[in-house]
Amino acid sequence: MNLHDHPRDALPSAKGERPARALGSALRWLRFATLNTLRNRRRSAVTVSIAALGTAAILLAGGFALFTYQGLAQISARTTGHLIVAKPEQFQRDEDTPLQYGLDDVAAIKTQLLADRDVLHVLPRVEFSGLISNGDKSTVMLAAGIDPDAEFAVKGPFLRVRAGDVLTSGQHNTVMLGEGLARSLKAAPGAGLTLLASTTEGALNAVDVTVKGVFSTGIPDVDKRLVYLDVDTAQKLLVTRRVSSLGVFLSGMDATDPARTRIAAALPQLAVQTWLDQATFYKSVKELYNRIFGALGLIIGVIVVFVVTNAMAMAIIERTREIGTLRAMGTLPAQLTRSFALEGLVLGGAGALLGAAVALAVSVALLVFPLEMPPPPGRSNGYPLQVVMDGGLYGATLLAMVVLAMAASAWVARRTVKKPIVDALAHV
Amino acid sequence: MSPTSAVLELSGVHKTYRLGQHVVPALQGVDLRVRAGEMLALTGPSGSGKSTLLNLAGLIDQPDRGEIRFRGRIVDGIGESEATLLRRDAIGFVFQSFNLVPVMTVADNVDYPLFLTGVATAERRQRVAQVLQAVGLSEHSAHRPDALSGGQRQRVAIARALVKRPALVIADEPTASLDSHTADQVLDLMRERGHAQGAAFLIATHDARLLRRCDRVIDLRDGRIVAAAAPQEVLA
Repeated sequence: MNLHDHPRDALPSAKGERPARALGSALRWLRFATLNTLRNRRRSAVTVSIAALGTAAILLAGGFALFTYQGLAQISARTTGHLIVAKPEQFQRDEDTPLQYGLDDVAAIKTQLLADRDVLHVLPRVEFSGLISNGDKSTVMLAAGIDPDAEFAVKGPFLRVRAGDVLTSGQHNTVMLGEGLARSLKAAPGAGLTLLASTTEGALNAVDVTVKGVFSTGIPDVDKRLVYLDVDTAQKLLVTRRVSSLGVFLSGMDATDPARTRIAAALPQLAVQTWLDQATFYKSVKELYNRIFGALGLIIGVIVVFVVTNAMAMAIIERTREIGTLRAMGTLPAQLTRSFALEGLVLGGAGALLGAAVALAVSVALLVFPLEMPPPPGRSNGYPLQVVMDGGLYGATLLAMVVLAMAASAWVARRTVKKPIVDALAHV
Repeated sequence: MSPTSAVLELSGVHKTYRLGQHVVPALQGVDLRVRAGEMLALTGPSGSGKSTLLNLAGLIDQPDRGEIRFRGRIVDGIGESEATLLRRDAIGFVFQSFNLVPVMTVADNVDYPLFLTGVATAERRQRVAQVLQAVGLSEHSAHRPDALSGGQRQRVAIARALVKRPALVIADEPTASLDSHTADQVLDLMRERGHAQGAAFLIATHDARLLRRCDRVIDLRDGRIVAAAAPQEVLA
């Protein structure tokens, strides 16, 4: 008989094997690995449990982070619009006078923007700063001139109205105050106030307004300064027909980048930014969470590797003599290493699937029985505790768990399977 | 391969072990020839070199000096992978304590060597069934080894060694863990199946009954062959 009468390796990687035979061979090794994991059921149960806990922790933490990212992304896009169209200088320089770099021919630009297939709404915005006074006390304000009906129709209830009502288009010389500002000025709905600001020519101008409502953005520092008024009143105060920028609202978040490219090409004289370019809070939170949850995932991964390594090390020591027997019978070290890696696959895979089931159950339970998170630092409103069930996250986590468990098992086995057979057979 | 051709030839084989600072000579210039179909016993006191000789003959260890030929081919100094494939294809092992895989059924234990060599599933099933019938364990094919008696386990081990139709079977004290009646059954089985398949047996043993049934007995002392003769002469 020639040495090479038979395939060198009965594992599925062997060249020349028919797929069916390779599959049968792989299943045989997998069955052997599964049976081996059942030798010490308690030890395997502990390993699977820890892998399950680790998987569930990663999926829940990751799902919560995704929920936060998605929520913040939606809020950011809803606040500014998916795209912001303005003169390039508006994004690059500080203004010497209000609306120095504002847009002039707003109606024409708006018509051009609305011609794009993904553009649903275009909202003008006039941003300026100035003073607001109740006659006795004056304080600094940050004002936003908006098209009220369109703004509330597009954005939905983006403000929490604490008192009074929201602005309506056509009702000029009315304002909504942040609740901190209203408290500072002792202003309630119906109260009369005066807005003071520099005009586009640099002169000081004032306009009397009536408080229509009091709102909260959820950020106390913003609520101490922010004033909403209609675009016409803002332009009357600043003595201009310009607007600072146009917020472009699209059919969905996914349309942002393609629409930006098209609009930038259609309006080459203007600059187009996305909501992400202006979402500094979103980016800060994402960077922070990525680091926190990345470190958490790393720690959990290390724990799982240690647990699997420990379990497999004990199993391999107990089976040293058997390894010697299998080697004597003609099993290649690589086959045994792969067999131990398959044991890691069984343990890690079972743990990962169990952990995924736990994470799914918790995620669904949070939808059915909502929990509220306390307000984050610098905010006055809490937010719902929800966990996104993302296929990509689940797939990547399960794959990582399985690969880690397989690699840990193979790494532990590598020396014993190459131990001299005589020594392995003599192992007691 | 004709019945008189050599399956295994050892010429001037030396092997030493280091125990701390001491060098222990295990084999000192052993010459041995095992013919196809021959049942050859190795006997001698503990430490005489029986196990070392079995290890070298089974290609699970390498000599320090000398030459080993397996079916005419020089195999001392071949790589571990080649030795593994040679063992897989042509050498069977029977261990004193059976060394069956406890999580596998009897049939799976016997099937394992065929699985390793890549024999097709249908043929494997047929050969496993045949050899289990030959060793009288057909009814136990689905049992795990821990459900069997010692004699049954050793019969499974013999079936596992013979199922791939090896040229050489290495057996280390195959009857040491068995009572006399069971030992007789196992010996009959080895003799009968070995002859049927033309396999050579190299058996280390102290068991006089086993020695009597072998074709030749090699008596080892201090790593040297001191007698090589028919059983009647050695046991006289």
